[in-house]
Amino acid sequence: MITATKFARTYNFGFIDETTKKEIRRKLLKAVAIPGYQVPYSSPEMPIARGWGTGGLHASLSLIGPDDVFKIIDQGSDASVNACNLRDFVKRMTGVRTTYDTAEATLIQTRHRLPEEILTEKQIIVFQVPQPEPLRRVERYEARTRQMHAEADYAKMWVSLYESYVKFGAIMNGAGYPVRVNGRYIMTPSPIPRWDVPNLSMGRCLHVFSAGREKRIHCVPPWTKVEPLEFEDVKFRVEEFRDVVCSASGGDRAFMDEIYESETSRKWVINDSNFLDKVRTGARPAQRLFANPPA
Amino acid sequence: MSSILEVRHVSKHFQLHVQNNKHIAALHDVSFDLAAGEIIGLTGKSGSGKSTLMKCIYRTYLANAGQIVLHRADRSSIDLVSANEHEVLEVRRTEMFYCSQFLSVIPRVPAVDVVAESIRRRSGGDDATTREAARSLLDQLGLPRELWDAYPATFSGGEQQRVNVARAIVARPRFLLVDEPTASLDQRTKDVVIDLFLELKAAGTSIVLITHDQHTLDRMSDRRLHLAHGRVQEMVAA
Amino acid sequence: MRDETQPGWLLKVRGLTKIYGDPVSTSVQYTGPKFSTNICPETDAIVACAEIDFELWPGEVLGVVGESGSGKSTLVQLLYFDHPATSGEVYFRPVDGGRTNLLTLSNARKRQLRNTALGMVYQNPRDGLNFSFSAGGNIAEKLIMAGEMNVGRMRQRGSYLLDRTEVPVARMDQSPQSFSGGMQQRVQISKAIANNPPLLFLDEVTSGLDVSVQARVLDLIRQLQRELGVAMIVVSHDLAVIRMLTDRTLVMKNGRIVEAGLTDQILQDPQHAYTQLLVSSLL
Repeated sequence: MITATKFARTYNFGFIDETTKKEIRRKLLKAVAIPGYQVPYSSPEMPIARGWGTGGLHASLSLIGPDDVFKIIDQGSDASVNACNLRDFVKRMTGVRTTYDTAEATLIQTRHRLPEEILTEKQIIVFQVPQPEPLRRVERYEARTRQMHAEADYAKMWVSLYESYVKFGAIMNGAGYPVRVNGRYIMTPSPIPRWDVPNLSMGRCLHVFSAGREKRIHCVPPWTKVEPLEFEDVKFRVEEFRDVVCSASGGDRAFMDEIYESETSRKWVINDSNFLDKVRTGARPAQRLFANPPA
Repeated sequence: MSSILEVRHVSKHFQLHVQNNKHIAALHDVSFDLAAGEIIGLTGKSGSGKSTLMKCIYRTYLANAGQIVLHRADRSSIDLVSANEHEVLEVRRTEMFYCSQFLSVIPRVPAVDVVAESIRRRSGGDDATTREAARSLLDQLGLPRELWDAYPATFSGGEQQRVNVARAIVARPRFLLVDEPTASLDQRTKDVVIDLFLELKAAGTSIVLITHDQHTLDRMSDRRLHLAHGRVQEMVAA
Repeated sequence: MRDETQPGWLLKVRGLTKIYGDPVSTSVQYTGPKFSTNICPETDAIVACAEIDFELWPGEVLGVVGESGSGKSTLVQLLYFDHPATSGEVYFRPVDGGRTNLLTLSNARKRQLRNTALGMVYQNPRDGLNFSFSAGGNIAEKLIMAGEMNVGRMRQRGSYLLDRTEVPVARMDQSPQSFSGGMQQRVQISKAIANNPPLLFLDEVTSGLDVSVQARVLDLIRQLQRELGVAMIVVSHDLAVIRMLTDRTLVMKNGRIVEAGLTDQILQDPQHAYTQLLVSSLL
């Protein structure tokens, strides 16, 4: 038992009670068994509001053990306010060691980014997901989207991609590009940039996606095929950072943030803060890079 | 000479449920044979059953008794009274054509296309050639040039009749039912029409003809079947 | 030369029945044209249609005519799998040579059939089109569902179909929301024939349109039928539409077929009292 300092009350290890943790772990197993399928789960109350990472916490706290090394990032940064607050909470509720080093961590919780460095069999990554249903934009009724998934009736999704291409010249420019997992379910990879999407496929680690507000968990197990949706003649492309280098490290070939210094000038900085730190010291951690098809 | 059509003891009456179940007897025990390549003219006063008989053959009317056996090109036979609708449709599409007194074309199709489509259905061909052939036939029949691209629904009786006849001629059916082909036509056109039908006959078409016009009857029919009160009075050689 | 192992018909329907509510064994017996009602006297179950038997041959155009409550729309909706049937058998030659009852197929198989071998045009364009997609997108939906994955080809086929149905191709990327009623119907028609299905259903497609617009749409349907040789089931309360488009006709009343025959025979020599009433009511 951990002794908390406030109100002299004691919390269970990992805050959530063991019975609920067991339920969440069973749902996680189910999600692993059916890659890409959204499994409903209890989504218990947490001391933070919905929409601030409760889903990620549910998964992390159900999985974490005393020997784990925990890392948490928010849009690539370990040091953002939300990342810091959630890290404090986890540390207080478990007493585990925390780290900024991607290679050292055994359990990583992330909001809207996948680390640049390749993750291994010894690691689990938990994604915070705002809207787990990739079909929500084209079908607002839950009963119908469930049936569409059950019958693999994804025509509406494809048409919306067609419309997007016709209107904007590309299937999707933003984050959260829809993917097909294990050749069966269409899934949202959470609002990660296109840059990260190919790295979900045939990875070595377990990817867990958890949506607290929507009460759904889905997983991409190791060595699972994840294919971004594309047409025969309109293919998936990652962002291109042509002729730019990180102004802080001089590195390139990573996802970069565009920062406006003034009205006219801008600089680029590698988004993954731990990766940036490593590049600055001269190291180049192992990465998987996706080559865009010829234009 | 073998017969192409055998009509056996055909009877037809109408039961008008909407008018107090009025019963109208139209045909009684009509029988005759049509030989291949022959033209039989049906004669009789109005109401004697000529059109009724023709429509029974075409299956627009359902005969109540009897058989109407058509011997087809592939040597099979079909009883038009009892055959199922699909078979009758096939016969109408391939072998049997009905040229009626009242033009029953699809609206909003120009006269030349009405005829051209009939050509296309019979022997294929692209738009240009079939229209050309259609125009020359309409010309032969004396339809004024300015009407060729107009809708037949607005034509006079005689003009409609010319389109009607043209459509039947180019269809070149094996078996043709013709109801009053020359009724609204002038003498010159009448003869043109008769010649065209005789050409068909020479090429092997068998025809059942209804006409009040003695001249048409004399020139066209090989035999005449005279009807009165829905019964066969007599069959005479022309 | 017809393949003798295949049946002559394209579609065969036997005993097709749809009942809403709680039927009892006598529901079908005590409803129908003889009783002038669709409603079961014992349980208030509604017998929308019952004991429907007919065949449709390839390239044939079958009309289904009747007044409200006749069950004519229900019939095509059952055949298009919009609603589950209560009982009956439906055989379709492209499926297992006509040996399998379509009503026993899985949802996925039914959907596949709908997408590839059937087409439907509804009276209300909102039922057949998705207004949040463009006209071209609606057609693309049908193509995608049949397995097309090439955007270029989808757009090519879409423009061809829209052009063929006289919808300005320049409006291909606009939502049908902004189109006139007649044009919306023509987009529906494009969508329905996108995959060249052997069988097309048309459910009161011109009711509610202005007469001149109606004429254009019907002319288009007739032309397409001649060109593609597609078999059609045309539902209409309007005998003039039936006369213009169909080879054969079924007359329905209170959920049953009261008369079936060649269209010219139905119109000129109607046998059943109700058919005679309908025909005499032609304006």
